[in-house]
Amino acid sequence: MNTEQAALTLWDLQAGEAARVTGFDQGLTTAYQGRIMEFGFQPGSQVECLLTPGFGAPRVYAVSNSVFSLDQEIAQAVFVESAGASGGQP
Amino acid sequence: MNRVLLLGSPNSGKSSLFNRLTGLSQRVANYPGITVDVASGALLSVPDTELVDFPGTYSLQPISGEEAVAVDFLADALSDDKVSHVLCVADATRLQKSLHFILQVIRECERCRKPVTVLANMADVIRDNGLSFDSAGLADALGVPVINISAKQSLGFDAVVARVREPAGTQATAVDRWLETPDEMLRGTAQQLAQRFSPKGDILIKSQLKLDRFFLSTGIGGVAFFLIMFLFFQSIFTWSAPAMDGIEALVTRVGEAVVAMIPNVVVADFVADALFGGVGAFLVFIPQIFVLTLVIGIMEDSGYLARAALICHRPLRLFGLTGKSFIPLLSGVACAIPAIYAARSVDSPWQRMMTYLAIPLMPCSARLPVYALLIAAFIPADTLLFGLIGWQGFALFLIYVFGMLTALLITGLVSRYSGGEQGDQPFVLELPPYRLPTAAPILRNAWNRCRHFVTKAGKIILMVTMVIWFLGYFPNGGEDLANSWLGTLGRLVEPVFAPLGLDWRYGVAILTSFLAREVFVGTLGTIFGIEGSEENMVPLVDQIQASGLPLGSGVALLVFFAVALQCVSTVAILAREGSTRLALGMLSGYLLIAYVMALAVFQLSQLLF
Repeated sequence: MNTEQAALTLWDLQAGEAARVTGFDQGLTTAYQGRIMEFGFQPGSQVECLLTPGFGAPRVYAVSNSVFSLDQEIAQAVFVESAGASGGQP
Repeated sequence: MNRVLLLGSPNSGKSSLFNRLTGLSQRVANYPGITVDVASGALLSVPDTELVDFPGTYSLQPISGEEAVAVDFLADALSDDKVSHVLCVADATRLQKSLHFILQVIRECERCRKPVTVLANMADVIRDNGLSFDSAGLADALGVPVINISAKQSLGFDAVVARVREPAGTQATAVDRWLETPDEMLRGTAQQLAQRFSPKGDILIKSQLKLDRFFLSTGIGGVAFFLIMFLFFQSIFTWSAPAMDGIEALVTRVGEAVVAMIPNVVVADFVADALFGGVGAFLVFIPQIFVLTLVIGIMEDSGYLARAALICHRPLRLFGLTGKSFIPLLSGVACAIPAIYAARSVDSPWQRMMTYLAIPLMPCSARLPVYALLIAAFIPADTLLFGLIGWQGFALFLIYVFGMLTALLITGLVSRYSGGEQGDQPFVLELPPYRLPTAAPILRNAWNRCRHFVTKAGKIILMVTMVIWFLGYFPNGGEDLANSWLGTLGRLVEPVFAPLGLDWRYGVAILTSFLAREVFVGTLGTIFGIEGSEENMVPLVDQIQASGLPLGSGVALLVFFAVALQCVSTVAILAREGSTRLALGMLSGYLLIAYVMALAVFQLSQLLF
């Protein structure tokens, strides 16, 4: 697990921002870590934040051509490194 | 009969494929995890083979109750000698989310020596986007056949049927390629295969994003949500009104014509009061059940319900629930029983129990006849905007909101005072692509719901109205209802309902409604039918208005029905899915709360008016 990137998590991404998954917080249960890895949130995968609805609502991320909604608890447990803004997104 | 198992992750098009291959009315819903029961049907092309549709699951390591059901059932099914083949459906446009599950299934099939075939669905979407999918390459990598199909356009079905038809023993089972591979390694392999074989290109995400920007935006998305919900409740009342008026007129005319042909007075009274007065009064509400189920089906199939779950997640968490509770709660607006099953999709056992607590307070379709009757008796039928919006629909919206707010209040209080927040689980939900709803399965589902409603509730209503008519008609031949056996019995229970401003007739109707809520309408129809036996058949609404029921009592009745758990079937399912203690606790607790709230409403109305 790469915990050096702990400063940046999925939850920190703004809409239209792309990032690469680097690891997971130790506090994330094995079951949920396994589940989001199955969805494509694997170390090395490129993820894009599509939407950040207000009032702390779960945010919307695209990975491997699928779209998932993750709440703060789980998005903050996924460490990422920025891959810059993606083309065509706000 | 051979059995073929149909597996796949949610939103892979599995249920749609099942419908096409079997011609059955398995519901297709565009929401992750909606198939919570196992459906089966004979293959159209191979009638001696039964296709078994499993609940969609992302993994054989379950994190929700419904996945646990699927995984347990799969373990049993794979050891069944009758299972001749396993079909595993993947959405080829979103391969990553399916591949780990597919590898797990192949591994289990290797263990049980069952042939398995992967069906790469969405061949039409890949073709229309000018992309390609290397099914032969993936087949080599997986070690099992891969067939390109389109469940929507019935492409590739011949190859699927040919594969299933191959006699047992002649099909090559997968060589032991994955048998000793642990899950961790399967996950890595799935990612590598997804990168290698996924069609390159953005499919649907950009068009989906445009709609999501609208429906999930902080301001407009919230307004759209409330507008959709408001229209939903309006549609139940206002849009079904013409059909309801038609059925009411038909029941009245047929009733009068039939009764006129019966020479025996007692039989004629029975047909008029018990059959057309009791059962007929209930049939009037069928169009509302149809519209309700239809609109929920459209929202599910379009993909909007998953967005609604996201919108509601944060507010629902304040009350001990989760966004995933939204779907069971909305299903509860149709019927509590499928809603309780749907609650299996809630990951956290605690939040699942909170969802159970809330579901019986959702304004189910069995309450609809009662609400519609009382609202029609007290609220004028005036409409606005060319008949699209009406005061009666608005009143229905308010009573529905009241039930929902009561549910949130109760789950919030229980959660707060029992440390429930420790049972929270993270919220992870796939947002399926938006799509135009498919008319046939939705209409078929609405029709099936109405048929189920009539056959299930209709039998109970018929039996109850017959007993009520017998007790009300004798011993004085319907001449004096107050001194009939029913009147005598009613006066025994009258002291319980008198503080709500209700006389014995309403008391008896409430008592019978504990079998099923809609029995209330049939019972009142029979009682008023006996009372008005000398007159022509009169709609029940008019009879309630003429009975002098005060407005305070009408509202108290609405409140009582909004809260009380008067449904034997719901109590039984709660006992099975939750526990007997939970079911009995909810039955008695909600009865007490309903009575106290109704009492407060009536007494307050007496003070104010």
